[in-house]
Amino acid sequence: MNQAAPAPKENMGQPVPRIDARLKVTGQAGYSADLAAGNVAYAALATSTIAKGAIQALHLDRARAVPGVLDIVSIGDMDQIEKPKFGNTGASSIGPLHDKTVFHDGQIIALTIAESFEAAEEAAMLIEADYAQENPSASFDSQGTKIEPAAGKSPMYKEDAKVGDFDSAYASAEVKIDQKYSTPTQHHNPIELFSTTAWWQGDQLTVHEPSQNVTGWKIELARQLKIDPANVRIISPYVGGAFGSKGPMTARTAIVAVAARRVGRPVRCVVSRMQAFGTQTYRAETRHRIRIGAGKDGHITAFAHEGWEVTSRPDPYVVGGASATARMYNYGSVLTHVSLVRADRNTPGYMRSPPETPYVYALENAMDEMAVALGMDPIEFRRINEPQKEPIGGKPFSSRSLLKCYEQAARAFGWSRREARVGSMRDGDWLVGMGCATAIYPTAVAPCAARIRLTADGQVRVQCGSHEIGTGVRTVAGQMAAERLGVDLDKVSVEMGDSALPPAPVSGGSISTASVCSAVLKACDAVRQKLFAAAVGEGGPLAGSGNAKLDMAGEKIVADDGKSAALSDLFKTMQIGAIEEYAEFAPRGSSPEALKKLYAGESEFHGGDQDQDSVKYAFGAEFVEVRVNSHTREVRVPRLVGAFAAGRIMNTRTARSQLMGGMIWGIGQALHEATEIDQRHARYVNRDLQDYLVPVNADIKEVEVILVPEIDHEVNPAGVKGLGELGNVGTAAAVASAVYHATGKRIRDLPIRIEDLVT
Amino acid sequence: MPKVISTGTSTVSKLSRRSFMSGSVLAAATMPIITRSAKAEEPPSDGQDNARALAAVSMRVNRQSYNFALDNRTSLLDALRDHAGLTGTKKGCDHGQCGACTVLVDGRRVLSCLSFAVMNEGRDVTTIEGLAAADGSLHPMQQAFIDNDAFQCGYCTPGQIMSAIGCVNEGHAGSEDDIREYMSGNLCRCAAYPNIVAAIVQARDETRRS
Repeated sequence: MNQAAPAPKENMGQPVPRIDARLKVTGQAGYSADLAAGNVAYAALATSTIAKGAIQALHLDRARAVPGVLDIVSIGDMDQIEKPKFGNTGASSIGPLHDKTVFHDGQIIALTIAESFEAAEEAAMLIEADYAQENPSASFDSQGTKIEPAAGKSPMYKEDAKVGDFDSAYASAEVKIDQKYSTPTQHHNPIELFSTTAWWQGDQLTVHEPSQNVTGWKIELARQLKIDPANVRIISPYVGGAFGSKGPMTARTAIVAVAARRVGRPVRCVVSRMQAFGTQTYRAETRHRIRIGAGKDGHITAFAHEGWEVTSRPDPYVVGGASATARMYNYGSVLTHVSLVRADRNTPGYMRSPPETPYVYALENAMDEMAVALGMDPIEFRRINEPQKEPIGGKPFSSRSLLKCYEQAARAFGWSRREARVGSMRDGDWLVGMGCATAIYPTAVAPCAARIRLTADGQVRVQCGSHEIGTGVRTVAGQMAAERLGVDLDKVSVEMGDSALPPAPVSGGSISTASVCSAVLKACDAVRQKLFAAAVGEGGPLAGSGNAKLDMAGEKIVADDGKSAALSDLFKTMQIGAIEEYAEFAPRGSSPEALKKLYAGESEFHGGDQDQDSVKYAFGAEFVEVRVNSHTREVRVPRLVGAFAAGRIMNTRTARSQLMGGMIWGIGQALHEATEIDQRHARYVNRDLQDYLVPVNADIKEVEVILVPEIDHEVNPAGVKGLGELGNVGTAAAVASAVYHATGKRIRDLPIRIEDLVT
Repeated sequence: MPKVISTGTSTVSKLSRRSFMSGSVLAAATMPIITRSAKAEEPPSDGQDNARALAAVSMRVNRQSYNFALDNRTSLLDALRDHAGLTGTKKGCDHGQCGACTVLVDGRRVLSCLSFAVMNEGRDVTTIEGLAAADGSLHPMQQAFIDNDAFQCGYCTPGQIMSAIGCVNEGHAGSEDDIREYMSGNLCRCAAYPNIVAAIVQARDETRRS
């Protein structure tokens, strides 16, 4: 045991190392662009240099003349296929090669295909376009944006949550705040570059591309190409970081597929880091106005959260985190309203805790301000406003361990050593600040299928078309099978990341562990039932133990009357070599079409605030110590402590790592990450990893993760709440709170930079 | 173009033999390229195209000799991945900003995306595929990364491990603060940083001895 492998507490699984760890440390794990595809031709993108207008002419001659260039796919060459659709499977409705309209800077205008990477790149750089250019609207403050209500624009955001009479409650509140907050554009920047490799064998299309949704992509790609989905296979065995960026398919996939058909051989396009900023999705910039009113005793009576979010002209992507903030505390009255601001930008999309990261940041920074206004300890302020029921629909929480999280994190952090007065804690040249905030993430689950095979020698194979994006889902699925079938984990193999496998939902919304483990559990239980029936049946090795309670352990069927039968003997009696079960799991409350939708690539989410019986969330409390240099105003974060309760923890090692990584993401949100926009040209400026800052090793010191035991049978059969997106939700507000405590400066616009603290 | 020939006598492990095999398959599969490339070798009419010419480059990779014929513009990273079939080394930015492509050249860590292959004539290159022993036993740094869960998605991991070995051998792993500083050229977007530091501390002494 070391720090990376915390001892399991109640309702927690063993911290076994990742099932694919050896492959990952030896360079043998095959990511999409690593996979052999035969005689590959290389492709490169050419992208627009304006953000709004139309292409009048494309000049391809110089590019075609580059030795080794095989073909160029450009505008007009996609006429025979359907345009992309915007939705959960498709990143945008923009079909960049379907028409001449330019919707945003960096839009694909051509794809060059050549014998070598160097030739393809050279050719792409030689492509020029004549544009009829218009003045673009870059963001919130630009001329020409269109503002509209978000409610009803997305199936994920049907209405603005509202309860009680906010206006009168706020008017009569004894203590109140009214403040504005903002979060910037951010790009996921997984270290793996985006790529597509496609080839045709007859009418069969195979695509290697990092994906969080192989089944959805299979269906969508087949629709665009107007072919039978049975002829499309998406393969994505390992994904080099995703964070939402590989959830929706982008226009490039079909373009590369068309290119492969034209040149009659495999085509691989690895997108440059710079071009990814405009051709993939991103986290939309948001603005917030929050009003909170309370009595002098600290009880909140009125809460209003208004949000504004940038999206593209054609696609109404909604962040919509007001539905989460509206349910966090016992407010009395609630008013929320979310607006979309349409600008000449590529379409934003999901990025790790998409609604919660910006909206809960704004709320929690406001909660800290409110605690200051009340002269109250921020933990005590949250304790006073802890709800018994969810405030909008009045439903109970399936479980809510927030206060336990605060207690345990506060103790480990040493909150009692905090001197409340601003600027009172100093260590030489460093101003010390301590802050805290709540993390919350909805617990959802979706239909999922899995196939389990058990052979007489105790080998288990798990097949499920989910995705290993670094979460450890292959490991925990294997653990679930090993536990239920009574074999060691090293006898279990897990196949994922292939649309030819039993379908799984999109690996987004922190649903994978719950959904996959519930399906694996169901398939394993079907195997068990068959084996148990044969074991106690006539002529079976446990005949006569029919009333005993049976289990599987040590490659045996074990009865509680003390008898047992080895699997190998039982298989002999059954005269079989293998037993295989295919299970389809649908969560409670699923629609009659839920499983049909699973095969059609649509994930029907259940949980969060959508269920009839209860609302389901995972909670955490995060504590941060910052040090602000009194001369340079540099901000350092030497210490982070987070305590999280998320139902059953399948593996304390992978859970800790995800939460730790999430908290460090939160440091990035707070202090580093922002995609800067040239307001005149609606163009991203810092399109590389030198200027788009993410936390590096030297930015991070002590990070402590506390796993708080919690049992919740209501959420799903596996009892699991997702935690991949929980860790980064509270951090930024905790940092803002700590910076205020150190300096007396309340920074409301992220990221917090030196220039904000200089004067 | 991608003509991969092993002239080395085989002292190689199973692993590097497999790498060699995949390189050969690649070469055979891309025969048409050589036709095209031969054209590129003709004197260019405008005299400006020399960057495209093929160069013969020889180097040792993971104790095995490779003779490449490469576009002068080919990076060491692309030579390893696309021409030697050693895809363990990763491309994360192609600009020397992320560290995913880190390999050891003559024992020192190098960003292979910032190094033209032709600059490595006669050098000795070690990639992630060359770390484990012939019997499959892992380098102490590889084992330490597993023990400390020093990765999640695993994509930056080959670069982290190669960089970690370089960091120790340079004498920059004396303290945890030193490790953090000298490992900050290797980005981990999953943010396994505390675990990476713990892994390097665990493997430090054994790495120095190995």
